[in-house]
Amino acid sequence: MVRRRICIAFKAVSMSFHDSKWFNSLPTPKGDLEKIQRRGREYLDLIGMPKKSDEAWRFTDLSRLSSLFNLPFLLNNPTNKIRKNIPLPSSKFEGFQLVISPGFDPLESVDLPDGFTQLSTAELDGILGRTIDKCSCNDEWLVAVNNSCTYRVLGLRINGDNLPPLELVLDSREDAFVATRIVLIVESKTKFDLFQVLLGKNNSAHSHLLEMHIGSDACVNHGWLARGTKESGYFATLAIEQDIRSQYAFSSVQEGWSFGRLEQKIVQESGYASTALRGLQVSKGKEQIVNNSTIRFDGPEGVLDQLQKAIAVDYSHSIFNGSIEVPRIAQRTSASQLSRNLLLSKHARIDTKPQLKIVADDVKCTHGATVSQLQEEQVFYMLSRGISHEDAMRLLLKGYCEEIVRTLPVSGSRWGVLSNLLEGV
Amino acid sequence: MTSSNLLGELVSKPYKYGFVTDIETEKISKGLTEDVIRLISSKKQEPEFLLNFRLKAYKQWLKMQEPDWAELGYPKVNYQDIIYYAAPKQNQKKASLDEVDPKLLETFDKLGIPLSEQKRLSNVAVDAVFDSVSIATTYKEQLAEHGVIFCSISEAVNEYPELVERYLGTVVPCNDNFFAALNSAVFSDGSFVYIPKGIECPMELSSYFRINSGDIGQFERTLIIAEDRASVSYLEGCTAPMFDTNTLHAAVVELIALEDSSIKYSTVQNWYSGNEEGVGGIYNFVTKRGQCRGARSKISWSQVETGSAITWKYPSCILQGEGSVGEFYSVALTNNLQKADTGTKMVHIGADTKSTIVSKGISAGKSRNSYRGLVQMGPKASGARNYSQCDSMLIGDQASANTYPYIRSQQSMASIEHEASTCRISEDQLFYLQSRGIGFEEAVSMMVSGFCRDVFNQLPMEFAAEADKLLALKLEGSVG
Repeated sequence: MVRRRICIAFKAVSMSFHDSKWFNSLPTPKGDLEKIQRRGREYLDLIGMPKKSDEAWRFTDLSRLSSLFNLPFLLNNPTNKIRKNIPLPSSKFEGFQLVISPGFDPLESVDLPDGFTQLSTAELDGILGRTIDKCSCNDEWLVAVNNSCTYRVLGLRINGDNLPPLELVLDSREDAFVATRIVLIVESKTKFDLFQVLLGKNNSAHSHLLEMHIGSDACVNHGWLARGTKESGYFATLAIEQDIRSQYAFSSVQEGWSFGRLEQKIVQESGYASTALRGLQVSKGKEQIVNNSTIRFDGPEGVLDQLQKAIAVDYSHSIFNGSIEVPRIAQRTSASQLSRNLLLSKHARIDTKPQLKIVADDVKCTHGATVSQLQEEQVFYMLSRGISHEDAMRLLLKGYCEEIVRTLPVSGSRWGVLSNLLEGV
Repeated sequence: MTSSNLLGELVSKPYKYGFVTDIETEKISKGLTEDVIRLISSKKQEPEFLLNFRLKAYKQWLKMQEPDWAELGYPKVNYQDIIYYAAPKQNQKKASLDEVDPKLLETFDKLGIPLSEQKRLSNVAVDAVFDSVSIATTYKEQLAEHGVIFCSISEAVNEYPELVERYLGTVVPCNDNFFAALNSAVFSDGSFVYIPKGIECPMELSSYFRINSGDIGQFERTLIIAEDRASVSYLEGCTAPMFDTNTLHAAVVELIALEDSSIKYSTVQNWYSGNEEGVGGIYNFVTKRGQCRGARSKISWSQVETGSAITWKYPSCILQGEGSVGEFYSVALTNNLQKADTGTKMVHIGADTKSTIVSKGISAGKSRNSYRGLVQMGPKASGARNYSQCDSMLIGDQASANTYPYIRSQQSMASIEHEASTCRISEDQLFYLQSRGIGFEEAVSMMVSGFCRDVFNQLPMEFAAEADKLLALKLEGSVG
C-alpha cells in the first residue's frame, strides 16, 4: 500500500486579526477563491467579532476566541521544505496519508492512489463554496473567517469502491494562526473511509473548512479526531451535502483544547439518505469544547441517528447544540438525537440544547438529553464484585467513551484515542 | 374527503366569545408618558411607593429593546397608539353585586362565569376583571373567615399596602424584561391572594379576564402569597371580542411559596386568535414566575393555551428552598396563522429540588408552535432532579412544531432528563376507531384528548372538562 508524508515549513506574518492589515497581508488567490476571500472579508468588516447576544455564541468564552486572533497568521515558505516533528503514530497503516497545512500544495510530487484525483483549478472554480451554499452557512462567522484567510485549497475527486482509507493530518504551529480548506467530491456509488486528525500545538489556532459532496448511493465513513494541547484553539466547519440514497457515518472525538469548536452542517439533498453521527467531547482543566450540529432534510424518507456524548471535569465547560430541520418536503423522515453528558466535577459546566424544527407531519422525530454523574447503581455493582472505586469509575468511563471511539474508521485505532482520552479524567 | 381535509375542517370552529359588550367606558387618551402613569396611579388613589415603583419601571422600559429572539414575526407594536387605562363607567367600587351594571353581569353570564349569588359556581370564588378594572369578587367574606385575602390588586394596594409593598416585584423585578417593565409601569388590575400560615384555602380561587375595548392594552398583575404550610389552587380564564386589529395583553404573575406551602396555578387561555387570514387577535406577552422560597414548598403551573394570535409565555419556577418542587404541565394548540412560543424555566438553586415538565403542543393549519424551555442546575443544587417531556402533534403538512430546550448544569450531583417526540394523528389509529363505529370527529377528539391526558389530569375538575371541550371545539375543521 502507498504511504506518503508531505511536510511543509512556514513563516509567520506578524499581524493580528484586529488589524485590518492582517487580512490584506495574505496572498491574493486567483479565480473563485479570490471572490470568496473578498466576500469573507467584507462580511467580517460588517459583522466584526461575535457577541454574547448572538444565539450561536451565547455560551462561548469570547475573550478566549478573541485571543486566538491575536496570533500571527502563518504562511508557508515553499523554498524551505523540511520534515517537521509531527507526532504521527508509528504503527503500520494500510492506507494513504497526507499531512497538510495552509497555502502549500500537499499533492506536489505525490502519486495519488487509484480512485483519487486532484481537482483542477477550473474544476474547483465551479465547485468551491457550493456545499457551503447548500448547507446555508455562508453567513456563519467561522465560515467567513476561513473564507477570508484561505488562499489555497486541497481538492480531491474520489471514485471507486475498493479504495484505501484516506488519513488527513491537519497540523498546527506554535504561536501561530493556521487556516486550511479541503474540498472532496465523492462520486456516485463510491465507498471509502476518511479519517481527519487535527493536532494542536502550544499557543496555536487553527481554522478548518471541509466541503464534501457525497454522490448518490455512495457510502462514506468519516472520522474526526481533534487533539489539542495547552493553550491551543481550533474551530472547524464540516459542510456535507448528501445526494439521494447516500450513507454518511461520522464519528468525532475532541479533547485537550483551550478553545475547541466543531460545526457540522449536513444537508440531505434529495432524500432517501441516511446519516449516523457519533460524537464525544472530553474537557478538562479550564477547557471549553463546543460541538454544534445542524442537519436539514431536503427530501423525503431521510434517516438520522445521532448520539453526542460529553465528559466535563475540573473547571471545564462543554457545550452541545444540535438542530434537526424537517421542512414540508421531507415526509417520512425518521430522526433521533440523543445528548448524554457526564458532569464529574464540582466546578465544571455543561450546556446542551437539542432542537427540533419540524413542518412535515408524517415524520418520526425524537430527541433526548441527560446530564448526570455516573450511575450509582453501576458503581455499586462493581464495588460489590470486589473492584475498587477508582477502577470501577475508570471502567465505566472507558465503556462510556468506547461506544463512540469504536465507531471511528479503522485508522482511528492507531492514534491511541481511548487511553489518551481518559488521562487525567 | 380525505382524513386530512376532515381534520382541517375540524380545527376551525368559530370563536364563540367574540361579542362586544356595549357599555359606556371611561378611557384615557392614547399613548404612554410619565403623566399617563401618574394619571393611572391617581385614578386608583395609590400610595406613593407604588407610584415610585411604576415610574422606576417606566424609566427602565424606555431603555429596553423589545425582544425578538423568539422570531415571532409580528408587525412592530406602536406603544403610543394604545390606551393604557379603560374602565366601565361606575361611580365607585360597588358595595354589593346588585349595584353592578347588569350589562356587565350579563357579559360574564354569557362567558359562563355567573357572578350573581343564585347562579355562582359552587366552591369557586371568582374575581372578574373587565378591561382595566376588577368588577366583582365572589365569596370574599367566606374566605375572610379563614383569613384568606382574595381581592383585586387595586383593593389590596389600598387595604393591605404593607403586604403589597413587601412582595410586589420581588419575583419579577420591574426591569426583568421589556414586557414586564411595561406591565410594572402601567398595570391596572388583577388579583391578589394571601393565604396565611397553616391555612388550606377552602375553595378554588379563580380570575376571569375579559378584554372588551379594541384599542386598549390589558396589563393585569397577579400576586399570590402562600405563607408557611398554606395551600391554594388558583384558576385563570381569559377571552376577548373579535376585532380586526391586534390587542396587546402583557400580564405579570408572581407567586411566592414559603415553607411547606403549595400553590397550584391553572390557566385556560382562550383569547381571540384572529381569523383564518391572521387578521386581528390578541398579542399575549406574559411573564409568569413563581419562587419556592421555603423548604419543601411546591409550585405547579398547568396551562391550556388555545387562543391569542401570538403567545410569548414561559411560566417559571425558581426553586430556592431545599427540597422544593416545581411542576409545569402545558397543552398549547395553534391553528390558522397563530404563533405560540411557550415553555418554562426551572431554575434549581437549592439542594434536593425537583422539577417536572410535561408539554404537549398541537399545531394545525399554517400555525407555528414552539416549546422553549430552560432547566438550570446551580452550583448548590446537589441532589436536584429534573424530568422533561415535550411532545408535539402535527395536523396537516403546513404547520410547524419546534422544540428548543436549553439545559445547563453546574452541579455534578444533579440529574437532568429530557425527551421530546413529534408525531401525527395516525391513519391506522383513526381507522381502528372508525371501524368500531366511532365518528371521525369523535375519534380525532379522543386521540387529541389521549395525547393531552397527562396535562388534563393535572387541571382542577372544573377546568379539565372545559379544556377537553375547548380543544375539541378549536380542532373542529382542521383535522382530516
